[in-house]
Amino acid sequence: MANKTEKIAVLGAGTMGAGIAQVAAQAGFPTLLYDIKQEFIDAGMGKIKAFLAGSRERGKLSAEQEKEILDRFQLTTSLDDCKGCALVIEAAPEKLELKRDIFRQLDAVCGVETLLASNTSSFNVTAIAASTQHPERVLGLHFFNPPPLMALVEVIQGDRTSSATIEKATALMKAIGKTPARAKDTAGFIVNRIARPFYNEALRILGDGDASVENIDKVMKEAGNFRMGPFELMDLIGNDINFAATESLYRSFFEDPRFRPSPIQQRMVLGGNLGRKTGRGFYVYAKK
Amino acid sequence: MPKSNLAIVGNSRLAQDLAAACKEKNLEAAFSANAADLEPTTPLVIETCAGDRDRKKALLQKLDDFLPANAVIVSSCLGFGVTELASWIKKPERLIGFATFYPLKDRKVVELARGLRTSESTARSAAEIFKSLGKETVLVKDTAGLTFPRILSLIINEAARALEEGVASAEEIDVAMRLGVNYPQGPLKWADQIGLDEVLAVLEGLLGETGDDRYRPAPLLKRLVTAGFLGETSGRGFYSYNETQVKP
Repeated sequence: MANKTEKIAVLGAGTMGAGIAQVAAQAGFPTLLYDIKQEFIDAGMGKIKAFLAGSRERGKLSAEQEKEILDRFQLTTSLDDCKGCALVIEAAPEKLELKRDIFRQLDAVCGVETLLASNTSSFNVTAIAASTQHPERVLGLHFFNPPPLMALVEVIQGDRTSSATIEKATALMKAIGKTPARAKDTAGFIVNRIARPFYNEALRILGDGDASVENIDKVMKEAGNFRMGPFELMDLIGNDINFAATESLYRSFFEDPRFRPSPIQQRMVLGGNLGRKTGRGFYVYAKK
Repeated sequence: MPKSNLAIVGNSRLAQDLAAACKEKNLEAAFSANAADLEPTTPLVIETCAGDRDRKKALLQKLDDFLPANAVIVSSCLGFGVTELASWIKKPERLIGFATFYPLKDRKVVELARGLRTSESTARSAAEIFKSLGKETVLVKDTAGLTFPRILSLIINEAARALEEGVASAEEIDVAMRLGVNYPQGPLKWADQIGLDEVLAVLEGLLGETGDDRYRPAPLLKRLVTAGFLGETSGRGFYSYNETQVKP
């Protein structure tokens, strides 16, 4: 991949942030990876290095390419280094006040030509943009986990985001090899909202005693051609994460019954039966 | 005309698909849009009308009167619970529900459900006929739309609401669902393939059965069906399939 000149900054070196930074660097962009502590950056870079080494071992990447990609990274614990970037993507923990504070600082550091994006999945982009003087350059870029493998990015237009910002961000997402889907700043955007019944109606059917976990999964795969059944998928995602996503949508839609969470899943969360990661969810998994 | 062991009744795309599947498996099956020209000795009828209550009721009552006493009726329960369907006829024990969506070739499994009065032997006959069509059956409890059509219809309904609210275009909604959560098809394109009337039948059936607002159909979906824009078969649904037609 040819080197590109526009610099992309990613804030937060957790799973999503490190993954997004890897995507940018692999696409040839000089990439700034920021976190509040060097140890978080080291942990994130450790994951990126392991991923790239795996790709090299499978013959998908030469040692030279691997080095080029790693050389594109600049690491920092100072937000001031975001100055001059074409795009900053914030992937900090999902806390509104934290995000607003970061955007307030970015707004002061970065010239108006820098696009400021949040990878939030649970907050309005409009609410985050409200902490800045230039909300027209603030948008949402919602990546899917794991970013290096998932092609989709939802490009979210807040109430005051300019069309030029959306155009520019869409072009940048294509340039990093992603497929953008543009959406308005509404709860759950496209995917998290429309996918909700896949989980929630399966839970309803189970709760009403209309079909078993095994039969629902079997039918959704063998009649519906879905890659995984809803219960297998909830166990993989984690019942805590899935339940929180449903609850967040339910609140965002002011308790619309379409999004009403399931008492069955709540009980599983309270009981610590979170799925694969705890060895027990809707199914029991052999201990590793 | 050879004596048929089976008849497919209906005029939907799914009915045509069932008839084609019978032909492919060398099953002698009569095919009739409204049961007018069936042989009175037919031992098993698959009836596919999804949502039109008056038409379906008339059709089932006609079959019930016309068929031999031991004949089995396998009726689409996309839009009505099986117990309700069976309550419309004099011999409720001979009726069982099935629910699936077009196209049949994509369905390895077909769901069946017994009503409260459905007999054991009716359930066996229904499972056997689908087996001879190369389909495995899974027995679930009696609700409109059963499992797969029910869950998919709710996904499509949510996609229709998002489209109607202007959250994103149909194309972007579909690409997002294929790439973001690996759905085999985008929900709006999928709905156009199934037929929007069949999807609406499931939602209205569930709303009627439960009275729960979560099943309320998206106004856009209802409007498209009312306008006769049922999807691929009518040249327009969420998408337009005829280039001379104006896009929504």
